[in-house]
Amino acid sequence: MPRNWWIRRRHYFTYILREFTALPLALWLLWFLVEVQRAQNGPKSYFPHSSTGFVIFSVICLGFALYHSITFLSLAGVILHFKVLDRPVPSQLVVLSMFGIWAVASAVIAFVLIYFAR
Amino acid sequence: MSEHSHVRRKPAFDHLFYWFMFAQGGVLAAILIPVHILVQGILGPLGIVRVVDRHYDTWINVLSNPLVKLYILVLIAFPFFHFAHRLRYLLVDLGVKQAKSLPAQAVFYGGAVVITLVALYLVLTTAPIQF
Repeated sequence: MPRNWWIRRRHYFTYILREFTALPLALWLLWFLVEVQRAQNGPKSYFPHSSTGFVIFSVICLGFALYHSITFLSLAGVILHFKVLDRPVPSQLVVLSMFGIWAVASAVIAFVLIYFAR
Repeated sequence: MSEHSHVRRKPAFDHLFYWFMFAQGGVLAAILIPVHILVQGILGPLGIVRVVDRHYDTWINVLSNPLVKLYILVLIAFPFFHFAHRLRYLLVDLGVKQAKSLPAQAVFYGGAVVITLVALYLVLTTAPIQF
Protein backbone atom coordinates (compact mmCIF):
# COMPACT_ATOMS: atom_id res chain seq x y z
CA MET A 1 0.00 0.00 0.00
CA PRO A 2 1.43 3.45 -0.87
CA ARG A 3 2.53 5.53 2.09
CA ASN A 4 0.24 8.42 1.19
CA TRP A 5 -2.94 6.27 1.11
CA TRP A 6 -4.42 8.28 3.98
CA ILE A 7 -4.51 11.58 2.05
CA ARG A 8 -6.26 10.06 -0.96
CA ARG A 9 -9.75 10.12 0.52
CA ARG A 10 -11.39 12.37 3.08
CA HIS A 11 -12.65 9.34 5.02
CA TYR A 12 -9.11 7.91 5.31
CA PHE A 13 -7.77 11.30 6.39
CA THR A 14 -10.37 11.70 9.16
CA TYR A 15 -9.57 8.15 10.33
CA ILE A 16 -5.86 8.99 10.66
CA LEU A 17 -6.75 12.33 12.26
CA ARG A 18 -8.80 10.41 14.85
CA GLU A 19 -5.82 8.20 15.63
CA PHE A 20 -3.54 11.26 15.80
CA THR A 21 -5.67 12.96 18.49
CA ALA A 22 -3.82 10.78 21.02
CA LEU A 23 -0.61 12.78 20.59
CA PRO A 24 -1.83 16.32 21.51
CA LEU A 25 -3.97 14.92 24.33
CA ALA A 26 -0.98 13.01 25.75
CA LEU A 27 1.17 16.16 25.52
CA TRP A 28 -1.45 18.26 27.30
CA LEU A 29 -1.77 15.71 30.11
CA LEU A 30 2.01 15.79 30.52
CA TRP A 31 1.72 19.58 30.99
CA PHE A 32 -0.95 18.86 33.60
CA LEU A 33 1.48 16.54 35.44
CA VAL A 34 4.19 19.23 35.27
CA GLU A 35 1.80 21.59 37.05
CA VAL A 36 1.23 18.97 39.77
CA GLN A 37 5.00 18.55 40.08
CA ARG A 38 5.55 22.32 40.38
CA ALA A 39 3.48 22.33 43.58
CA GLN A 40 6.06 20.06 45.24
CA ASN A 41 8.58 22.80 45.98
CA GLY A 42 6.47 25.19 48.03
CA PRO A 43 4.58 28.42 47.31
CA LYS A 44 7.61 30.54 46.38
CA SER A 45 8.66 28.42 43.43
CA TYR A 46 5.13 27.61 42.22
CA PHE A 47 3.87 29.21 39.03
CA PRO A 48 1.01 27.97 36.82
CA HIS A 49 1.16 27.74 33.02
CA SER A 50 0.21 31.24 31.87
CA SER A 51 1.98 32.05 28.61
CA THR A 52 0.19 32.91 25.37
CA GLY A 53 1.94 29.93 23.82
CA PHE A 54 0.35 27.60 26.39
CA VAL A 55 -3.13 29.04 25.70
CA ILE A 56 -2.65 28.58 21.93
CA PHE A 57 -1.39 25.05 22.55
CA SER A 58 -4.46 24.38 24.72
CA VAL A 59 -6.85 25.74 22.07
CA ILE A 60 -5.31 23.38 19.49
CA CYS A 61 -5.48 20.47 21.97
CA LEU A 62 -9.13 21.31 22.79
CA GLY A 63 -9.98 20.95 19.10
CA PHE A 64 -8.40 17.50 19.01
CA ALA A 65 -9.99 16.58 22.36
CA LEU A 66 -13.47 17.49 21.14
CA TYR A 67 -12.88 15.55 17.92
CA HIS A 68 -11.83 12.50 19.96
CA SER A 69 -14.81 12.85 22.31
CA ILE A 70 -17.41 13.21 19.55
CA THR A 71 -16.05 10.37 17.41
CA PHE A 72 -15.33 7.97 20.29
CA LEU A 73 -18.61 8.51 22.16
CA SER A 74 -20.57 8.22 18.90
CA LEU A 75 -19.10 4.74 18.43
CA ALA A 76 -20.70 3.62 21.69
CA GLY A 77 -23.99 3.04 19.88
CA VAL A 78 -22.29 0.59 17.54
CA ILE A 79 -20.24 -1.23 20.19
CA LEU A 80 -22.53 -1.35 23.22
CA HIS A 81 -25.68 -3.46 23.06
CA PHE A 82 -28.05 -3.54 26.02
CA LYS A 83 -31.40 -5.12 26.64
CA VAL A 84 -33.97 -3.68 29.01
CA LEU A 85 -37.01 -5.89 29.68
CA ASP A 86 -35.87 -8.17 26.82
CA ARG A 87 -35.91 -5.26 24.38
CA PRO A 88 -32.72 -3.90 22.80
CA VAL A 89 -31.93 -0.31 23.72
CA PRO A 90 -31.80 1.82 20.52
CA SER A 91 -28.25 2.81 19.56
CA GLN A 92 -29.23 6.51 19.45
CA LEU A 93 -30.25 6.29 23.11
CA VAL A 94 -26.89 4.71 24.01
CA VAL A 95 -25.03 7.51 22.22
CA LEU A 96 -27.27 10.14 23.81
CA SER A 97 -26.54 8.64 27.25
CA MET A 98 -22.80 8.80 26.63
CA PHE A 99 -23.03 12.45 25.60
CA GLY A 100 -25.18 13.08 28.68
CA ILE A 101 -22.51 11.49 30.92
CA TRP A 102 -19.89 13.67 29.19
CA ALA A 103 -21.94 16.83 29.89
CA VAL A 104 -22.55 15.94 33.55
CA ALA A 105 -18.90 14.95 34.16
CA SER A 106 -17.68 18.17 32.52
CA ALA A 107 -20.03 20.25 34.67
CA VAL A 108 -18.88 18.51 37.88
CA ILE A 109 -15.16 18.85 37.03
CA ALA A 110 -15.58 22.51 36.02
CA PHE A 111 -17.46 23.17 39.27
CA VAL A 112 -14.65 21.64 41.38
CA LEU A 113 -11.92 23.48 39.44
CA ILE A 114 -13.70 26.84 39.79
CA TYR A 115 -15.53 26.55 43.15
CA PHE A 116 -12.39 25.67 45.14
CA ALA A 117 -10.40 28.55 43.61
CA ARG A 118 -10.08 31.91 45.28
CA MET B 1 -16.49 -35.33 15.92
CA SER B 2 -13.75 -33.38 14.25
CA GLU B 3 -10.14 -33.36 15.35
CA HIS B 4 -10.39 -29.67 16.24
CA SER B 5 -13.17 -30.19 18.75
CA HIS B 6 -10.66 -31.85 21.11
CA VAL B 7 -8.44 -28.80 21.17
CA ARG B 8 -9.15 -26.76 24.29
CA ARG B 9 -9.00 -23.10 23.48
CA LYS B 10 -7.40 -20.84 26.03
CA PRO B 11 -9.27 -17.62 26.70
CA ALA B 12 -7.38 -14.68 25.21
CA PHE B 13 -6.93 -12.81 28.48
CA ASP B 14 -4.21 -10.57 27.08
CA HIS B 15 -6.53 -9.40 24.29
CA LEU B 16 -9.31 -8.90 26.81
CA PHE B 17 -6.99 -6.78 28.93
CA TYR B 18 -5.74 -4.70 25.97
CA TRP B 19 -9.24 -4.03 24.66
CA PHE B 20 -10.60 -3.25 28.12
CA MET B 21 -7.83 -0.72 28.76
CA PHE B 22 -8.13 0.74 25.23
CA ALA B 23 -11.91 1.15 25.44
CA GLN B 24 -11.95 2.49 29.00
CA GLY B 25 -9.06 4.81 28.25
CA GLY B 26 -10.87 6.14 25.18
CA VAL B 27 -14.12 6.74 27.06
CA LEU B 28 -12.38 8.36 30.04
CA ALA B 29 -10.27 10.58 27.76
CA ALA B 30 -13.43 11.61 25.89
CA ILE B 31 -15.39 12.40 29.04
CA LEU B 32 -12.73 13.96 31.27
CA ILE B 33 -10.04 15.74 29.23
CA PRO B 34 -11.87 18.49 27.24
CA VAL B 35 -13.11 20.31 30.35
CA HIS B 36 -9.62 20.28 31.91
CA ILE B 37 -8.15 21.80 28.75
CA LEU B 38 -10.93 24.40 28.53
CA VAL B 39 -10.82 25.47 32.18
CA GLN B 40 -7.15 24.98 33.13
CA GLY B 41 -5.62 25.56 29.71
CA ILE B 42 -7.69 28.44 28.35
CA LEU B 43 -10.17 30.11 30.74
CA GLY B 44 -7.82 30.10 33.75
CA PRO B 45 -4.69 31.48 32.04
CA LEU B 46 -6.80 34.14 30.26
CA GLY B 47 -8.26 35.24 33.61
CA ILE B 48 -11.86 34.61 32.52
CA VAL B 49 -12.59 32.40 35.56
CA ARG B 50 -10.77 31.69 38.81
CA VAL B 51 -9.26 28.21 38.73
CA VAL B 52 -7.73 26.17 41.56
CA ASP B 53 -4.33 25.77 39.91
CA ARG B 54 -3.74 29.54 39.55
CA HIS B 55 -2.61 29.80 43.20
CA TYR B 56 -0.39 27.52 45.21
CA ASP B 57 -2.61 27.30 48.30
CA THR B 58 -5.81 26.37 46.46
CA TRP B 59 -3.97 23.95 44.17
CA ILE B 60 -2.19 22.17 47.03
CA ASN B 61 -5.45 22.09 48.98
CA VAL B 62 -7.23 20.27 46.14
CA LEU B 63 -4.23 17.99 45.50
CA SER B 64 -4.24 16.86 49.15
CA ASN B 65 -7.68 15.30 48.80
CA PRO B 66 -7.37 11.50 48.40
CA LEU B 67 -10.27 11.40 45.94
CA VAL B 68 -8.47 13.95 43.75
CA LYS B 69 -5.28 11.88 43.96
CA LEU B 70 -7.21 8.79 42.85
CA TYR B 71 -8.93 10.81 40.12
CA ILE B 72 -5.60 12.10 38.74
CA LEU B 73 -4.27 8.54 38.66
CA VAL B 74 -7.34 7.40 36.67
CA LEU B 75 -7.06 10.49 34.42
CA ILE B 76 -3.50 9.49 33.53
CA ALA B 77 -3.39 5.67 33.63
CA PHE B 78 -6.33 4.72 31.41
CA PRO B 79 -6.00 7.45 28.74
CA PHE B 80 -2.23 6.91 28.42
CA PHE B 81 -2.77 3.23 27.72
CA HIS B 82 -5.31 4.28 25.09
CA PHE B 83 -2.85 6.81 23.62
CA ALA B 84 -0.09 4.18 23.49
CA HIS B 85 -2.36 1.80 21.59
CA ARG B 86 -3.59 4.45 19.17
CA LEU B 87 -0.17 5.91 18.43
CA ARG B 88 1.33 2.47 17.86
CA TYR B 89 -1.42 1.61 15.37
CA LEU B 90 -1.11 5.07 13.80
CA LEU B 91 2.49 4.18 12.94
CA VAL B 92 1.40 0.75 11.66
CA ASP B 93 -1.26 2.39 9.46
CA LEU B 94 1.33 4.85 8.13
CA GLY B 95 3.50 1.92 7.02
CA VAL B 96 5.96 1.63 9.92
CA LYS B 97 6.02 -2.17 10.22
CA GLN B 98 8.43 -2.10 13.16
CA ALA B 99 5.59 -0.67 15.27
CA LYS B 100 4.10 -4.19 15.35
CA SER B 101 7.23 -5.68 16.90
CA LEU B 102 7.60 -6.73 20.51
CA PRO B 103 10.18 -4.01 21.30
CA ALA B 104 7.78 -1.38 19.95
CA GLN B 105 4.99 -2.78 22.13
CA ALA B 106 7.35 -2.63 25.11
CA VAL B 107 8.19 1.00 24.32
CA PHE B 108 4.59 2.19 23.85
CA TYR B 109 2.81 0.25 26.61
CA GLY B 110 5.88 0.42 28.84
CA GLY B 111 5.85 4.20 28.32
CA ALA B 112 2.22 4.32 29.47
CA VAL B 113 3.16 2.30 32.57
CA VAL B 114 6.14 4.59 33.31
CA ILE B 115 3.97 7.74 33.03
CA THR B 116 1.37 6.11 35.30
CA LEU B 117 4.09 5.35 37.86
CA VAL B 118 5.34 8.95 37.62
CA ALA B 119 1.76 10.16 38.22
CA LEU B 120 1.46 7.79 41.19
CA TYR B 121 4.72 9.15 42.62
CA LEU B 122 3.59 12.76 42.09
CA VAL B 123 0.16 12.36 43.71
CA LEU B 124 1.70 10.55 46.68
CA THR B 125 4.52 13.03 47.25
CA THR B 126 3.10 16.42 46.23
CA ALA B 127 0.66 17.09 49.08
CA PRO B 128 0.02 15.17 52.31
CA ILE B 129 -3.35 13.44 52.31
CA GLN B 130 -6.04 15.54 54.01
CA PHE B 131 -9.81 15.19 54.02
